[in-house]
Amino acid sequence: MSTPTLLLVDDEERILRSLRMLFFGGYQVRMATDPHEALRILRDERVHVIISDQRMPVMNGSELLRQARDISPATMRILLTGYSDIEASIASVNEGEVFRYLMKPWDAEQVKKVVAEAAAIAEVSFTMQQNTAVAADTSGAKPRVLIMDNDEATARTVHETLSDRCEIIWAADAQHAMEELAKQDVSVVVSDLMLGETNVGYILKTIKQLNPQTQCIVLTSFNDTSRLIELINQAQITRFLPKPVSKGLLARNLESMLERFHAVRNQPELQKRQSVAPISDPQEKIQAGNFLGLLGRLRARIVA
Amino acid sequence: MRQTNHPDEDVSSLINAIDGISPDCPLEEVAELFSDHKYSKLLSLPVVRDGRPIGVISRYRFMDIYLKRYARELHGKRPVSAFLNDSPLLVEVSQALAVAAQHVAANMKFPLTEDFIITRQGNYLGVGFVMDLLNAMEVKMGTNTRELERTNRRLKSSQLALVQSEKMASLGQMVAGIAHEINTPLGYVQNNVAIGRDLFRHIQTMISGYEALVDGLLDEQSTDELIAEQMQQVVEFRSDMNAREMLGEMHGLMDDSLYGIAQISELVLNLKNFSRMDAAATEAVNLNNCIESALNIGRNVLKDRVEVVKELGDLPKITCAPSQLNQVFLNLFTNAAQAMEGQGKLYIKTWLEEGAVHISVADNGKGMPEEVLARIFDPFFTTKPVGEGTGLGLAISHQIIQQHGGEIHVESRVGEGTRFRIKLPVAPATAVQQPAVLEAVA
Repeated sequence: MSTPTLLLVDDEERILRSLRMLFFGGYQVRMATDPHEALRILRDERVHVIISDQRMPVMNGSELLRQARDISPATMRILLTGYSDIEASIASVNEGEVFRYLMKPWDAEQVKKVVAEAAAIAEVSFTMQQNTAVAADTSGAKPRVLIMDNDEATARTVHETLSDRCEIIWAADAQHAMEELAKQDVSVVVSDLMLGETNVGYILKTIKQLNPQTQCIVLTSFNDTSRLIELINQAQITRFLPKPVSKGLLARNLESMLERFHAVRNQPELQKRQSVAPISDPQEKIQAGNFLGLLGRLRARIVA
Repeated sequence: MRQTNHPDEDVSSLINAIDGISPDCPLEEVAELFSDHKYSKLLSLPVVRDGRPIGVISRYRFMDIYLKRYARELHGKRPVSAFLNDSPLLVEVSQALAVAAQHVAANMKFPLTEDFIITRQGNYLGVGFVMDLLNAMEVKMGTNTRELERTNRRLKSSQLALVQSEKMASLGQMVAGIAHEINTPLGYVQNNVAIGRDLFRHIQTMISGYEALVDGLLDEQSTDELIAEQMQQVVEFRSDMNAREMLGEMHGLMDDSLYGIAQISELVLNLKNFSRMDAAATEAVNLNNCIESALNIGRNVLKDRVEVVKELGDLPKITCAPSQLNQVFLNLFTNAAQAMEGQGKLYIKTWLEEGAVHISVADNGKGMPEEVLARIFDPFFTTKPVGEGTGLGLAISHQIIQQHGGEIHVESRVGEGTRFRIKLPVAPATAVQQPAVLEAVA
């Protein structure tokens, strides 16, 4: 692999200078204090990883990353911000589709690791792009859509949108969800973060570990930014829709997630673009471990 | 006298069930009744026909007639009906005390010579004493006053809580902003130090390589082979261009780090000055400094979209509660920023005129219509979405300025902008020791 190119965007030059040094030698480092300049670089050069600040005078980081996605879809997108407001987090998922959401001040070693991982994934994406794009093949096993939400409206919309093409399972509690997951992998998950009394964060994280092809849509009225950031990094939720969700919005996102599922299933290399960071919360780590173990035993029994 | 225990009751508690006298009752019998101790408290006797009151005869009027010469002989056998006041004061039993009192007060004659008559749907029930009514009213008023006091206390404490929550809300916004302001320099300072540490380690290895070479050269027992090996190591270090270039860059990073640390220190200092909101200590300060301080704190909200144009005149120090005035300025600045759609300008001007400090804070934001302008200082009035504003910011600001003996005015035009003008006397104000608490809403 040739030296990967890294594009750093921040309105504070000192951040840029500092980061450049962190990646000195290993990367071709490009910098911009102006997002428009960053977009120009993206158009002209092959950029493996873009790291952007969120709050900048002329354009938000999430908006920049959204445009970056259009200009250079293979480029991996990372948000590095000192200001964690809920809008930014939501936008970074839905618009920027970020690989990681990192906070300032950052841990130098962690950032190096994340960037190295992202650069390797981007390299694969670039080579894939050169090979002709594979047409979305929707044949194969019928996709399964798992609803983990007590809200009937959610279930109704999912049914109306996808019942002609997908098997739809509505789990109203964690136990039921687990049984369904044990039977077979799911393609798309539509979930509230609270399922009855259960905080399903660890389930979402486990699902993504179990099968990276699964696309997760989270619907919730909660607004805990730090938990959301954790979910971006550790569960790669693909969409975050604050409740109450309009039917049209949910339907649109269901379609695009199903499409993405097909794309990932046909090109497994794409999976890597959604690889997750290890679970950081010790409690959740244990929960996820138990959950995986339980699933394993259940699956063994079903197979037998 | 009977007591009224339930002040909200009707007048039934005031009934004295005195038998009414018949209109045919001769005057000489009335004389007997008036002297009967059973009726000693009565100012007048009720006269009732078929259960309905037709009038009263007062002790006063009776005396007037009956004590005249030959009155006994002339009138003694005549019925009382000939001497009646046939339009007595009537009160329906179902009337509330207050209504009855109003009615009686409006219609009673002076000197007080008659009692009033209590009826139910026009039927005679008994006699009421004006004094009883007054007493009952007094008791009721006492209860009302106590209730008012209780309500007042409750209002005051809930207001304190609201003022506190406004403070917490603006504090929360501020903290989020400050976190960003601090995290940015903290980000590069921490990173630079981490890079510096790695580089330092590298340089240490390099130095020990040089030292080994020098030692080898000086050592007579050293072999050519050993020296060549050490030489090779040093050459390798020297050819590591990365380390070399990084070392060159490191100077800049060190300067950046110092700059970042200075920025963090400044922010923390600002925060410290600001956090004395509740202390509200009075100090002699130059308001220009308060304005600068508020601008610093609000920088996060302002910097992206607001160009600040300052025209700060020479001001004398004034005795005030700086932390409170900081709060007022920050409030005005952030409001201005929020009023802007896209980029905007904030004009801040201070000057001294006629023994008062004047501050003008103007923006070219979206402005406000008349109906908003009229209510802008009202507590709880807000145009912001639910949950974003408590509607107390300007109300508290208004009160702080008033407590400083000053004035705050606002003018605005839709589409053009808004201007706040504050005038504060240079001579020390008296009542600034109180923390900002809204007076009870009337």
